[in-house]
Amino acid sequence: MTRRFSARELGGARAVILHREHTTVKALSRQLTAIGLRVTQQWPSLGAAALGADFVFFDADLGHDEQFPWARGQSPMPLIALIGSEAPGRIEWALTAGANAQLIKPIGDNGAYSALLIARAAYDEALALAAEVTDLRHRLSERQTVVQAVNFLMSEGADETAAFDRLRRMAMDWRVSFEVAAQRVVARHTGKRGSDERRNSRS
Amino acid sequence: MAKRQIELGVLYSRSGNYSLISEACRIGALGAIAHVNSDPSRDFTFHAIERDPMGNIDNYEPLCTDILTNTTARHVIGCITSWSRKEVIPSLERHGGTLWYTVPYEGFEASDRVVYTHACPNQHLLPLLDWAFPTYGKRAFLTGSNYIWGWEMNRIARETITGAGGTVLGERYLPIGSFDIERMIEEIEATRPDFILNSLIGPSQYRFISAYHELGQRDPHFRPETCPVMSCNLTECELPALGEAAEGLIAAGPYFRSDTYSSEHRNFGSSHEAMSYAAVMELARLLSLGANGETLSISALLEQDQTGTGIVDPQTHHTSLPVLIAQVENGEFVIRRRFAPVLGDPYLSRGKGVLQEIGPDLKVVS
Repeated sequence: MTRRFSARELGGARAVILHREHTTVKALSRQLTAIGLRVTQQWPSLGAAALGADFVFFDADLGHDEQFPWARGQSPMPLIALIGSEAPGRIEWALTAGANAQLIKPIGDNGAYSALLIARAAYDEALALAAEVTDLRHRLSERQTVVQAVNFLMSEGADETAAFDRLRRMAMDWRVSFEVAAQRVVARHTGKRGSDERRNSRS
Repeated sequence: MAKRQIELGVLYSRSGNYSLISEACRIGALGAIAHVNSDPSRDFTFHAIERDPMGNIDNYEPLCTDILTNTTARHVIGCITSWSRKEVIPSLERHGGTLWYTVPYEGFEASDRVVYTHACPNQHLLPLLDWAFPTYGKRAFLTGSNYIWGWEMNRIARETITGAGGTVLGERYLPIGSFDIERMIEEIEATRPDFILNSLIGPSQYRFISAYHELGQRDPHFRPETCPVMSCNLTECELPALGEAAEGLIAAGPYFRSDTYSSEHRNFGSSHEAMSYAAVMELARLLSLGANGETLSISALLEQDQTGTGIVDPQTHHTSLPVLIAQVENGEFVIRRRFAPVLGDPYLSRGKGVLQEIGPDLKVVS
């Protein structure tokens, strides 16, 4: 997969640093400001204003789930962990908090720029993968509907291959997914049968 | 009263692939040191601590550390390649030193330990391409030496060219010092671009320009009128190595010798010399602002400066520079286009501002 980074997009982006007042914040702010970001520092927790940030840097040493105004792993922006203690428990927590990249403390003169680009790429990729998984899950759950639809079409006289092809053509004509086409076929037939049943029950 | 003496590191290679450039920078730096030392109004003199890395990348870090640990110098002027600059930054961080870097570079750096007094891409490459598109076309061939300068310059160029609807017909690199230019020339001949962006350095560049000049003799398309070679680091200091083949070369830079536009310009040999001179003069000014300036970090020096006359942006440590586009004509660079000074934007994140063009016969009234 090729990626094209455009640094120009970083100009004017907003970064929030969730870290107590410290030289870490000063050094990181200097780097981010030089890159062209607007920076604010917050502690001990992120306010609602942080929801509009483009990047959040968080302290992995003193951090805990309650600091974030979103469910664990559900951040609306890329997250970058600021790691001092490389204890496995802290790294594990930073990962479950949803870190897309990390910077090792003490923060010096560089590192922020690559962390921003890597975090954004990892975040975008995770988001795209999650969307794809949701789509695949949905299609999986519609397997039964597809089988039903093919059965209905076969009941109108087609063999299995022809029924399948017909369903595919319907999806193309209607410009919908295969699964949605199947839903419509099933709805049409169950609707018909439903009215038949009602008629039968009345007689 | 005897003046106090401030030691100043000078780290330029006096031999090797890019010695013409380092010699120009060294002349500028030593010229400014002499100027400072002869100024009776100053209460200090500079004493140059010179170290010569001889063009060997592995010598830079040890020699920089030597200057910072074995002398009282806190400021070092030097380094030509980005590679060497990146090598010395950890040493500067460890020992609290500052590097004054005075040559054009590819951007994407804003070290707290470095001051960048020459141009970065929003001050050379982007204005050069903007000017080249309507003048020659948007079909480009990119060349470079195999290290960060060429790679990053060509990445930015590719992004800009394709973004403007143009085409990159080829992109070729050579190891530093290599003379293996035949394949590049063959590809250029086959693809017939509108211009060539040249980020080769040293002898590879000299060989390439000479071979391209010969190609132009064989096929008129490859003459400067229809397919020029353009650079962002070529100055007068390398013209002697190019001879007649230099005719028609185009370069972007903050200063050219023939430019008589600003009367305050001394007669420098090249922008390499001019920006090195400017760096030492600015350091001298910052050190004159308060007592014991030589013990302060560069950030502290910049913070303490309330005069509003400084040339260094405290956020990025880059400077505001005019943008000139020039072409070699009878052995001298002649200005083709001039833009008002613009602040270096190393991460190209501050948006593409419109450069203010200044006509050749206009003067800025300040």
